[in-house]
Amino acid sequence: MDQIYLPKNRAGFAIGNYVVIKSLEKKKLVERLYFYGVKNLEPIKLEIVQEILNIIDQAFDTYENILITGSFLDEGFQFNDIDILIVTDYKLSIDMIRDIIKRKTGIMGHILVLSNKEFIRGLETDPLYQMILSRCISKKRFLYKTQNKIDYKLLDLHLLKSKVLIDNFDFLSGDEKYNLVRNMIAIYLYLDSKKVSNELVDKEIKKYFGLKDIKELKQNLIDKKDFLKKYKLIYYQTFSKILRGIESGAKQK
Amino acid sequence: MVQNRNKLIELFIGNISNSIVHEILERAVSKEPIADKYRKELITSFEVAKKYMEKINPLDRPLPNKDVEYIKTKIINKVRAELMTRISKGYKNIEISLVEELVDKALKNTNVE
Repeated sequence: MDQIYLPKNRAGFAIGNYVVIKSLEKKKLVERLYFYGVKNLEPIKLEIVQEILNIIDQAFDTYENILITGSFLDEGFQFNDIDILIVTDYKLSIDMIRDIIKRKTGIMGHILVLSNKEFIRGLETDPLYQMILSRCISKKRFLYKTQNKIDYKLLDLHLLKSKVLIDNFDFLSGDEKYNLVRNMIAIYLYLDSKKVSNELVDKEIKKYFGLKDIKELKQNLIDKKDFLKKYKLIYYQTFSKILRGIESGAKQK
Repeated sequence: MVQNRNKLIELFIGNISNSIVHEILERAVSKEPIADKYRKELITSFEVAKKYMEKINPLDRPLPNKDVEYIKTKIINKVRAELMTRISKGYKNIEISLVEELVDKALKNTNVE
């Protein structure tokens, strides 16, 4: 049972007076956030974002920026956790922050901490990082002017992760499949010098695999034979392109 | 049942090979840390391989020597073939000499040996 202790000898109110119980912790004023590629967000989610930013602010304030990304920003309440990216060159204890977020909002925070250098390098060489920035809520306004540097060896490494799906279709959940497909399609588009964003990647996935809705993939409602045939085709096309890139890079040296 | 076990062993081999190729390529790519934290959420070949091993060997005892030899040889060959595809295209810094050492480590970590 919750209990509130009052001193026996007190001035101001007598037994039977009505009182107001109020937290000493002052709520921070709602601050302005920056929305990138987020068309609508439910008011309750916005409150959660504000709460999370307040929690991080209280625990740690030497950061470059904080970005909220991932399925939390999708319409509805189908998310499992909330992706939080903290860009900072300082060390911080994410376990503590994760625990407070869980306690105060009831949501599991998936927190990533990247140094400024790591983040910039990711943006230059990795299509997945570009996808993050294509749809996020940012604590601070940002302008990351980076140029795409196609590093074939790095893309080879990233693409290899999506190979898991080829042999393990039956073993993987819909969400796991979606993440692996998304990784592969983002690389495929990136190699084609296309702009990589969440919206575009989802659109291409639907187009390539003939899906009416991306949920068909996320909910594991796809036809294995047809899906794998197309998946392998794109995977090996992308892999060949990467190998050609590595080959021409080696010849130039 | 035997057929099912054999299939699981083949799946285990495929996944563990993929994870070793990944490890060797990671070392070859750069000395700087790879900005890949955003992919940590993707299920990895190693995690999948471990799940298969739990099904193949639920009692967690080392597998019979005959199986271990078969698995080991097949993984080494698969990893080498994957790496050779890249080396033949001029990919530098791939330490092929690491293969056996990493295969042994992976087999220990998955309780095959």
